[in-house]
Amino acid sequence: MTTVKTVCPYCGTGCNMYVHTGSAHIAKVTPDLEHPVSQGELCLKGYYGFNHVADRRRLTTPLRRQGNDFIPISWDSALDEVAGKFSAVRRDHGPDAFALFASARCTNEDNYVAQKFARAVMGTNNVDHCARLCHSSTVSGLAQAFGSGAMTNSIPEIGEVSDLIFIIGSNTAEQHPLIARHVIRAQQRGAKLVVADPRQTEMAEKADLWIRVPPGHNIPLVNGMLHVVIKEGLHDKEFIDAHSVGFDDVVHAVESFSPEAVERMSGIPAGQIVHAARMYAGARASVILFAMGITQFSHGVGNVASLANLAVVTGQIGRPGAGVCPLRGQGNVQGACDLGALPNVYPAYQSVTDPALRAHYESAWGVTLPAKVGLKITEVPAAIDRGEVRTLMIFGENPLMSDPDLGALRKEIQKLDFLVVMDLFMTETARFANIVLPAACWAEKDGTYTNTERRVQRGRAVVPAPGEARLDWAVFSALAARMGYAGMNYGGAQEIWDEVRRVVPKTFGGISYARLDKLPGLSWPCPSEDHPGTPILHKDGHFTMASGKAQLTPVLFDPNVLPDAKTKGFTHAITAHVVEHADTAYPFILTTGRRVYNYHTGTMTRKSPLLEQLAPEERIELNPADAKELGVADGDFIKLSTRRGKSIARAWVTERVAPKNVFSTFHYWEANCNELTNAQSLDPICGIPEYKVSAAKVEKSSAAEAKSWRDWIQGEYRVAVERATNAVLAGRVQK
Amino acid sequence: MNRFVIAEPKLCIGCYTCEAACVDVHQEVGLQAHPRLVVTQTAQGTMPVQCRHCEDAPCAKVCPVGAITEADGMIQLNESTCIGCKMCALACPFGAIEPHGSSPLSQQMPYEPYVESAGAIIGEPLAPSAISAPLSSLLDWSAGVRTVAVKCDLCYFREDGPKCIQVCPTKALRIVDSESLSASISAKRRQTVAKTSQVLSGASAAENE
Ligand code: SF4
Ligand code: SF4
Repeated sequence: MTTVKTVCPYCGTGCNMYVHTGSAHIAKVTPDLEHPVSQGELCLKGYYGFNHVADRRRLTTPLRRQGNDFIPISWDSALDEVAGKFSAVRRDHGPDAFALFASARCTNEDNYVAQKFARAVMGTNNVDHCARLCHSSTVSGLAQAFGSGAMTNSIPEIGEVSDLIFIIGSNTAEQHPLIARHVIRAQQRGAKLVVADPRQTEMAEKADLWIRVPPGHNIPLVNGMLHVVIKEGLHDKEFIDAHSVGFDDVVHAVESFSPEAVERMSGIPAGQIVHAARMYAGARASVILFAMGITQFSHGVGNVASLANLAVVTGQIGRPGAGVCPLRGQGNVQGACDLGALPNVYPAYQSVTDPALRAHYESAWGVTLPAKVGLKITEVPAAIDRGEVRTLMIFGENPLMSDPDLGALRKEIQKLDFLVVMDLFMTETARFANIVLPAACWAEKDGTYTNTERRVQRGRAVVPAPGEARLDWAVFSALAARMGYAGMNYGGAQEIWDEVRRVVPKTFGGISYARLDKLPGLSWPCPSEDHPGTPILHKDGHFTMASGKAQLTPVLFDPNVLPDAKTKGFTHAITAHVVEHADTAYPFILTTGRRVYNYHTGTMTRKSPLLEQLAPEERIELNPADAKELGVADGDFIKLSTRRGKSIARAWVTERVAPKNVFSTFHYWEANCNELTNAQSLDPICGIPEYKVSAAKVEKSSAAEAKSWRDWIQGEYRVAVERATNAVLAGRVQK
Repeated sequence: MNRFVIAEPKLCIGCYTCEAACVDVHQEVGLQAHPRLVVTQTAQGTMPVQCRHCEDAPCAKVCPVGAITEADGMIQLNESTCIGCKMCALACPFGAIEPHGSSPLSQQMPYEPYVESAGAIIGEPLAPSAISAPLSSLLDWSAGVRTVAVKCDLCYFREDGPKCIQVCPTKALRIVDSESLSASISAKRRQTVAKTSQVLSGASAAENE
């Protein structure tokens, strides 16, 4: 048996683990006792989520679609065809007719090479990845406020130092169990916990104060807290004067958000707002943890900006245990952003529109680079519709499960001239591809991953890749070579990383593989080999903005569209509202998320018999009062519909959701909440869709209706997936 | 005294790692692949519920075939002798026993179990994986398993004791045995003395004033 230390492939907590292999397969996973974040623990996905690695449905050879069938082909002909089509689209329709979706599941090296391919070889900035759908509002909102869009503190500080933890819009116990553990440790030390969430999550249950926020009403809560802070003189005047600009505008903006006014607007009890404000501002070190419950709104940036205001105004930032912590979902979503898999920035968030920065990358990569900001993921479907994007490449992402309004997306994706998907399995997305490429997975590759606290960690290959599956970066290198670009010929992951260190020395220069082999990761920025890394950003109020000061931004909110009169007198205020409201036809509010046993679209976790046994199907949360009214018992089938689509699954009758709210996930193709979500309600700044609020209808259903719905949706893509898998397996048998 | 595992709801974050581990270790030794502790989420709190290994176990009393016995400081259920009559599940006051095996044909399953379709692709064996000790992983996970009662057996077959306790990331689970119980009882008695004397001396001080 061999044992290799690597990083858990699932959430952004970045726990380290030992993978033990017997013969050629993973036998078991054990925790790393020394790791500062996971400290000898793992959650069930870390322990038991590895079966997909050796699953025999793994793709092992490139495939070409012919009608509804997939034919195994050689790598040479696959690469020739892909390179040929890419060159043709660039020649005939211009570089911007190509778009690339990169992957937060892949390494820093994979993402660096991928975005370099899009920019230097294809000549377009049309490269983005699923951060668009999860934390793009954080990246924009925090960068505009603090100069950096990342988590300001390290995870262990939560357990060791913070004495007030304010969790808003994060289901920490389920999505980052090993961060929740630090919150529990803090509570054992006597720290207080305030949770704001529409659902009674595990964290809400453990909170000293739980505020049930109606979906979409975070801004009135936070503005209300700011109102109380300012009125009661709990703000940190010295810190505000010395380290921020724009305070007066914020004072002005929150004036109308008295606790009573907020109660009238949102139903949040005024007393709770006052209590939360006093607790947050009064603690020695307060930390804010937030996730999709803040970001996934048409006003996601507004939500983030209001939290940034709260932290700066109270001086709760830039010290141990005090800061603003976006909890990133995917194992390397932080890294994919850092390495420039975004349409507006190069690695290390260097703007593509800045001529000096562009010149730097032009000389590093030896090409002329495009100056135009590229398309965001959420803008691509419409661009396909308009015939502007004709060729799309996707790796390590399954948008046909994870993106909003799947019914529409299934139609749009079929309008492409050419789609290439590189993945571990024949996914719901790959089913529509012209060419499917087999990729090596986390357990088969070397590289680095960056967890949510900016800790760059070393991932290591444990087992050989199955069949002809290849490393993602190697495929981009091969394509580049075929397309006549010589600058992407790498000998291994380390060589790529060393290029990254040379190109962005201020951020990554000091993070060498040699150091990573000895240390439990290093937090960027880390400019030199003797630099210890930077666990805490904006230390002592020295923000990473050009001015060194935090930029406060007034955030205005009205549940319906904000009347113009209210925005008068503000020059750069963010205005926010909620796009969909319950009405007589759709009287419920659907809010969406994930559960602990599954990971996103389930391509990996649903291959684990153990996890699948614990959570075999979707359960839509429904309040007992509504269940009674509908005549639905726990476990009965219900039909959920919105103006976009429908889904049918069993009801979980529980007080976890408020009356007239329902909650569903995107783990199960059989009943996916993204059939229902809205792709049009985008944040105007970052383009994130409003996943968290849709007006919905709930009806009692039956097992028979559930079955016929499932058969239909299976016809839409699943049948093809199974058939394609058969082709793959048959192809392997023939060889 | 019988030992038992209990959870502290203040610490339990409802992460289900204990349930997964429980299935894993039992399956490995060929016992029912079903969690012996069930994480239960309510508006009042969350914790896994499992067998208390009662001193006067009602489940053992009602078992018609003597499949449940007290031995080695615990209540044991012999999965081979159990006839699946479910009386123990009715008798258990905690909901700690659950019948598990094949589902009846009449149970409506609009979603095929995922592994079924995997197994159905072609008849080649699943990739060898250390977690499937039983002969066929298909039998193991879906149809064809005899229904018997399952309950916590304190992982009697593991040298390091109950796996759930080991994997719980917040250390919400612990074992209660006669030693830890009497230690906690005597600590509470000492607290009682301290509190009582505080109250009484406070009262006498007030009287003296
Ligand atoms: S492992 Fe621990 S925290 Fe997780 S559900 Fe079980 S008892 Fe609760
Ligand atoms: S002691 Fe063993 S059998 Fe009992 S609940 Fe824990 S893991 Fe399961």
